[in-house]
Amino acid sequence: MIEIENIHKIFNEKSSEPFEALKSITLHIAKNEAIILSGVSGSGKSTLLSLIASLDKPSSGKIVVDGELISKLPDLHASHYRAKSIGFIFQHFNLLEALSVEENIIAPLIPSRLDIITIKKQAQESMQRAGIAHKASQTIRELSGGEKQRCAIARALVTDPKLIICDEPTANLDKANSLKFIEILSTLKALGKTIIVATHDPIFDTLPFESRLIKMEDGRIVDE
Amino acid sequence: MHNNAFFHFLSLLLFKQKNKHIGAIFISVIIIFLLSSVLFISSSLQKSLQATLQNQPDFTISRLQAGRAVDTPTEWIEKIVQIDGVSAVTPRVYGRYFFAPNENSFLIVGVDFFDEQSNRSLQELMETTDLKSFFAMPSMLVGEGVQKFMSAHYYSDSFSFKLPNGSFKKVAIAQQLPSSTNLIANDMIVMPLELAKEIFAMEEESITDIALNVPNDAEWDTIVGKLHLLFYDAQVIDKREISKAYKSLYNYKGGLFLILYLITIITFMLILYQRYSMVYSAEKKEIGILRAIGWSIQDILKLKFYETLVIVISSFILGVVLAYIFVFIFDAPLLQEIFLGGENLANSVVFVPTIEFGILGSLFLFFALPFFASVLIPVWKIAVTPPKEAML
Amino acid sequence: MNEVLLSQEVIVYLLSESLLFGLLFVAFIITPLLIKRWNFDAFTQEQFRLENRSYLVMSIVFFVMALKILLLPYFVYTIDQLSDIVPGAMCGAGIIKANGYGNPLLLLKIIILFLSGFWMTLNRLDLEAKAYPYTKRKLWFFLFIFMLLSIEFALDILYFTHIQTTNPVTCCSVIFGQMGGSNALFLGLDTPMLLLLFYLLFVLLVLMLWSKNSLGIIVTSLLFLFVAYYSVVYFYGTYIYELPTHKCPFCMLQQEYYFIGYLVWGLLLVGVFMSLDYAISRWLWKRDALRLRNFALWALSLFVLLCSLFVVVYYSKNGVLL
Repeated sequence: MIEIENIHKIFNEKSSEPFEALKSITLHIAKNEAIILSGVSGSGKSTLLSLIASLDKPSSGKIVVDGELISKLPDLHASHYRAKSIGFIFQHFNLLEALSVEENIIAPLIPSRLDIITIKKQAQESMQRAGIAHKASQTIRELSGGEKQRCAIARALVTDPKLIICDEPTANLDKANSLKFIEILSTLKALGKTIIVATHDPIFDTLPFESRLIKMEDGRIVDE
Repeated sequence: MHNNAFFHFLSLLLFKQKNKHIGAIFISVIIIFLLSSVLFISSSLQKSLQATLQNQPDFTISRLQAGRAVDTPTEWIEKIVQIDGVSAVTPRVYGRYFFAPNENSFLIVGVDFFDEQSNRSLQELMETTDLKSFFAMPSMLVGEGVQKFMSAHYYSDSFSFKLPNGSFKKVAIAQQLPSSTNLIANDMIVMPLELAKEIFAMEEESITDIALNVPNDAEWDTIVGKLHLLFYDAQVIDKREISKAYKSLYNYKGGLFLILYLITIITFMLILYQRYSMVYSAEKKEIGILRAIGWSIQDILKLKFYETLVIVISSFILGVVLAYIFVFIFDAPLLQEIFLGGENLANSVVFVPTIEFGILGSLFLFFALPFFASVLIPVWKIAVTPPKEAML
Repeated sequence: MNEVLLSQEVIVYLLSESLLFGLLFVAFIITPLLIKRWNFDAFTQEQFRLENRSYLVMSIVFFVMALKILLLPYFVYTIDQLSDIVPGAMCGAGIIKANGYGNPLLLLKIIILFLSGFWMTLNRLDLEAKAYPYTKRKLWFFLFIFMLLSIEFALDILYFTHIQTTNPVTCCSVIFGQMGGSNALFLGLDTPMLLLLFYLLFVLLVLMLWSKNSLGIIVTSLLFLFVAYYSVVYFYGTYIYELPTHKCPFCMLQQEYYFIGYLVWGLLLVGVFMSLDYAISRWLWKRDALRLRNFALWALSLFVLLCSLFVVVYYSKNGVLL
């Protein structure tokens, strides 16, 4: 499903101290696979995730997702790809603080030109799946960490994406909530989603579902 | 529109983050309010003036000797009446009467009350006046400003004029001139011809000028020619000239305000540019999140464009409505003074509501275009926020 | 100062045009570098910056065009207002002919609006495609439009500074009137022939739009624009004014006729523009924008219907034709 070929990412290219965040990464991920990217912070996990999600563009190399070259897409198509195929769960949740749970969850569907009734129906389903439907009209500021996490999950799922990408998803959660999160991941895997998690949380060492552990260090894949 | 998800989301963002825009809306409303007040006043004044001038006599003739105005002999009247197409030939006496203690002056207009009047509003007024009691004793009709001034000086039902020979002449105040004519009749006193002559100590056979009407517009130029042929030393003023003089006076005042506004609008644009550069840079994270979850640059541009449009339209409507209330319901206190000028008697005018779409359109362009132009570049800057901003 | 330059409308109009030109100038300054350095296959930071900048050019052109659409009727309104202070003028017809710049300016404005409309279509296609295939072409096209816009701006200033309030101008009855054989129609047509041509061309244009014949649409819609202009001035207008000798394209824009002229000319221009836009994007860019075509059909039909309606209403009220 995802073919990453010889990816390089260099920051501050023109400056006197260019920083090479990713060095010649090649990686193939099959459909419905669960990938755990582990490594210390600064090892390049997040950068790799952002390239797969087309949030950023590589300095060289190729990323093909479902036969489409996403490493070099015009903005309109990249946005479309992000909206359709990617459910991204960020480390700091990245919700719009002023809005309510439901309003956050409909946000990814706004550019789709669906009417508001359909959108709200989809949001409702997604909230139920993530277990946050009872807080639908509450503002994000009033939520606990675990609730914010579930809201972020609901937002990631609302477009029914093929690929779920999580960046340090348990970094701001306690043990109980982290376990709940893993539970949700396993149901998603059972639904046929492809999952990529970047983490250094040891809780991901033992998972209730089949997974592939990839270790990163200094911008390279060191162990598979 | 109701089911449109985009506008639903837009209204959510606007409503929940209204604090960001309040400053800009506040300044906009003030500017719109001031400018539309000024334009409302000037267009209303022009309308009233036009209406008042409509009622003025079509022509006035006076004698001019070597460029100096002198009294006009009454025998001219008989000759003018002979001209075909001329009607309502009225002799008039007028001049300024100075009220020494305060350096104020009244405009005294003496007319022959038994003639047909060439001034149409005077004609109407006379038909409603009880002439019997009016002529029982020396009486006059006074403008609103005069009335107020006199009653402030304890002349509530009559006024004593000081004649050139040193004696006093007591004249009763019969009635007030309608306040709709305030624009030109505020400091006016209308009285019988003979009485006015007595106050100004004029000779029996002379008057100040002669007013007349020519009902058929097409005849105007011919009549002017005939009048000049008849009297080599006559000065003929027609209504259109007065109208044009007044019009360009008010146009000029409106134009002056526009120049002032030009300076204001440049300041306004700078403030807006600053303000929105700041507001939007604070939104960087938020826009980054929207970009990350699938909003394209165009979607963000659209969002910001409509956001600005809502702000522009709502402050425009608010400003115009406030100005309407200020001018047409409260009669524009303070601003009125600037327009009417109060050197002599304090004037007060009731503004007749007039709304011209052209003026509203001009106002909208004049305000909305600079507004959009100054936020365009900040909007673009925020719209091209890279989606990886959400990761930071 | 000149009385014309002090009138509110002229100040507002010239200020608006100057602001828009200022923005366009920003877009103009960044365009040459964009054209020179654009290379979509590059992975460099510079290319990303250029991509972002091309969005600035797009935003500016979009904004300017939206406002130019508003400013065209405002321009017409402005010259209409000036007829109060310029002796001899009863409507905009006299003012536009007050000096040699007026008519070219009005024509240029319409051409620029059409061209920027085509630009927006090209821009949309460029953004929707996978690799920005038309970017360089659209930027060159923008430079061309910018050149026209500069001429327009210069004409704007020349036009308004050269209207004399002392020299009387001619009234529309002189410019368009047909007394004593003056102002004969082109090709020696008479009114029935003109009307026949008007309806025939309309039917032909509808057929062309239905059959999606690009070249046919372009030719017929331009012909239709030409013939429709004459038909409105010399025939339908007389029914709007209800006076057989009143022939003028400007008077119908005034309040006495409920501003109906803005609708009449607006529908015609929008209809013809959309037909052309549809034909060009089909012909050059191989895109079949059906919505555009349907809009074009609607606007043109409404235009023809509206014109015919004036005649019908007049006939049913008075029982005779003019």
